[in-house]
Amino acid sequence: MNITSSDVILLAHSTFGVLGTLAAVWVFVEALNARAENAKRIRVVAWIAALCMIATWIFGGYWYIHFYPADRAMILKGPWPFAHTLFMETKEHLFFIPLILSFYLPIGAADKLYENANARKMVLCVTMLIVLSGLSIEGAGAVINHGVKVALLHGVAGSGR
Amino acid sequence: MNIESAKLGRSSAGFAMSAAITILFSTVLACVKDAYKPLNSFMNSVAWHNWITHGFVDVILFIALGIIFSKSGLAERIAPRRLISFLAASVIVAGLGLFVWYALF
Repeated sequence: MNITSSDVILLAHSTFGVLGTLAAVWVFVEALNARAENAKRIRVVAWIAALCMIATWIFGGYWYIHFYPADRAMILKGPWPFAHTLFMETKEHLFFIPLILSFYLPIGAADKLYENANARKMVLCVTMLIVLSGLSIEGAGAVINHGVKVALLHGVAGSGR
Repeated sequence: MNIESAKLGRSSAGFAMSAAITILFSTVLACVKDAYKPLNSFMNSVAWHNWITHGFVDVILFIALGIIFSKSGLAERIAPRRLISFLAASVIVAGLGLFVWYALF
């Protein structure tokens, strides 16, 4: 078995992305049933969502700068160049949307959601947007991963890692 | 207090407005740096890579605008429903805008 630092960083990036998205789902469900009893839990999980997105940003950024150029070269020479030109280019900038929204989430969740319907709607809206953009980004990651795979299957390994 | 007509908190409203504007700005910056290479090169020189610079600019803008809107009470005066709609619309426009930009150019 040969697990490289590149593999660990890449998997940490996507794992924290999924955990951040799941934390947003958790906040969404708790906010639907907002009461005084779960107010603290909503705030704690909102912070977890933000921290997971920060971890995703750091791991993803490090991997993107240090390891992605080799994969990009392979993708561009393979049969799915759009995995980089469309999906990676969109994904790397789309990521800033859930990042900013997750930074906002603990601020929005600081209001008393159980006695303020508009604050609850805001948190519901923000968490839904985090989930939708997070899932889109995970899907784009799968396309990029497949772009590398089909390039390797077509024998474009010479320019890669 | 009427639960349905309650206002958002000052920080909540201010940073929501800031998030919406930052998200739109981020998409415009992505398109501009893609089209105008000198800006891309400049951003590469600021913090190792244009993507890192881009992220820092977004976060700094979000915090700065959030503080300004919160302290001024500007966003607080906007109806919460409008603010929520503005934030949702900005995310949809920014997300689709990025996809269309990279699909076409």
